[in-house]
Amino acid sequence: MTAARPLRYGDPAHLDAHQFLVEEAALLDAADYAGWLELLCEDIRYVMPVRVTTARGAGFDSLPDMAHFDEDMYALRKRVQRLATDHAWTEDPPSRTRHFVTNVRTFRAAPGELRVESALLLFRSRGDTREADLLSAGRADLLRETADGLRLARREITVDESVLRTQNLAVFL
Amino acid sequence: MIDLAAIVSQVRQGMIPAHVYADPEIFAAERDRLFARSWVFLAHESEIPDPGDYVVRRVLADSFIVARDEAGVIRVMFNMCLHRGMQVCRAELGNASHFRCPYHAWTYRNDGRLAGVPFHAEAYGGEDGFARAGQSLLPAPSMATHNGLIFISGDPDAQPLAGYLGDFTYYLDFYTRQSPAGVELRGPQRWRIKANWKIGAENFAGDSYHTPHTHASVVDIGLFREPKASQRIKGALYTAGPGSGTTYKLPPGGDFADQLRYVGYPDAMIGGMAAAWSDRQRALVAGSGFMVSAATLFPNLSFVHNWPQVDAAGTVVPFISLRQWQPVSERETEVLSWFAVDAAAPEDFKRQSYRAYLMCFGSSGMFEQDDVENWVSITDMAAGSMARRLNLNSRMGLTSEGKPLKPPIADFAGPGLAYQGFGEYGQRHWLSQWGDHLSRDAR
Repeated sequence: MTAARPLRYGDPAHLDAHQFLVEEAALLDAADYAGWLELLCEDIRYVMPVRVTTARGAGFDSLPDMAHFDEDMYALRKRVQRLATDHAWTEDPPSRTRHFVTNVRTFRAAPGELRVESALLLFRSRGDTREADLLSAGRADLLRETADGLRLARREITVDESVLRTQNLAVFL
Repeated sequence: MIDLAAIVSQVRQGMIPAHVYADPEIFAAERDRLFARSWVFLAHESEIPDPGDYVVRRVLADSFIVARDEAGVIRVMFNMCLHRGMQVCRAELGNASHFRCPYHAWTYRNDGRLAGVPFHAEAYGGEDGFARAGQSLLPAPSMATHNGLIFISGDPDAQPLAGYLGDFTYYLDFYTRQSPAGVELRGPQRWRIKANWKIGAENFAGDSYHTPHTHASVVDIGLFREPKASQRIKGALYTAGPGSGTTYKLPPGGDFADQLRYVGYPDAMIGGMAAAWSDRQRALVAGSGFMVSAATLFPNLSFVHNWPQVDAAGTVVPFISLRQWQPVSERETEVLSWFAVDAAAPEDFKRQSYRAYLMCFGSSGMFEQDDVENWVSITDMAAGSMARRLNLNSRMGLTSEGKPLKPPIADFAGPGLAYQGFGEYGQRHWLSQWGDHLSRDAR
């Protein structure tokens, strides 16, 4: 939700932002989490609030003080370090994932920053007997221009279920 | 047809017929004999602090509105309209003075009393045709609270909650009464796992044996060092009343405050614990030298208390989580996981403890991720016909004659029985209660 108009699809800033998200998704689907960390700013905030079912007039549809993720760089590094150990059983054997990124809209933010909204559909398949999981979410990102290109400074993930239908979030969205 | 008596008999010998973790007949028996009668946790008072606040929670298929009425009284009401059975409140939380059924607009006060029936005079002939007085959403047959925890039972003649909690009350305070101000809950995170509900309850009831291996990765990365086997085996496992749990051994020689500082509590909170806990409760920490970790209150409410490192500087911060294993079917469970913190804790502690919780437990927690993978796999394996030929060995800590391998800890400060080292005492204690319920008639 924003009052400002998104950049035109042909705008180089929009194209850069869209490419960033697609490249990021490729790293996540390849389980190249060390590579993914390099796309994050040191002051990253990575948040996924708990969505709730409320009356239309309630004025809120997520919990103000509880999230599925509320991460800084220390916490994200720990998660990535854990997945790289020989003992992260939940992802060994690994899930097969596909991050589908679409509906990308780019907005000018502060100088040197872009605000990017996108829709994400995460397909996750484990083993050979279980039903696959789907997670649908909107994402609002803040991308910062750096000497190395765009980097992710903030991500807020608006998941579309109040009760997640996946066994855990040993994945990134 | 399953032979319940034979299954319970096996379970009482510490041998668990594997199919009970994926059997629809067992699930039906649990619904009709256990959940129809047992005290079951629904919510905490801190989730509905103001008049009109409500949350909607389930016990299996039954939906309940848990509301604080205009007088501040907690009410638990079956969420079904008296007229045509519509779900009266379809939000999961909010604030309302009244609940109005969407179907024909019958309206109920937030204490459950029927307040309005459209066209009462024209359609029903007024009070003569349909007396509104005395009409109310069905209250939970029994409801009671302890430390702000709201429990209900489907049995109108249920044993009083205080009597039910019994010796476990002592341990409950470590999680839900760290100061006279009590605890506040945030959340819950909710997610569904393709696992039988009993597996998580048993795991938290006393499985210290899984920690060194299942959770090796969190030791590897330096998030929480205590679970390594050499440390975990020193912990005490206790059974008490309807509950049981695990503890970690604290460093020798520390006094009450030293031990609480060791797990990361600031001095501002240690005074609260000293004030809220009895001499005997303080002696578990200072004298016996044990700190509570995982626990389960039968049937499906579990607790956890850990103290990971929350930053690169090595700051240790403890957190508490309450979690409920809400059965969906014999093969699926909804997990509700709350972060809990002393209401009087400094804001900075609350923030740090919340971060510690998110890193370790809940939907994204680095401990919980590996637990659930195990439980889903067990349920998957238990669903076939071969599982009907296999009894799982849950006899750890018993000799072949069924005697404890070693005596209980003699100077353990807490009530109940406690053993040091690994053993499936808590799981058998839980399963024994499960057997008691399944041996009774259906309600």
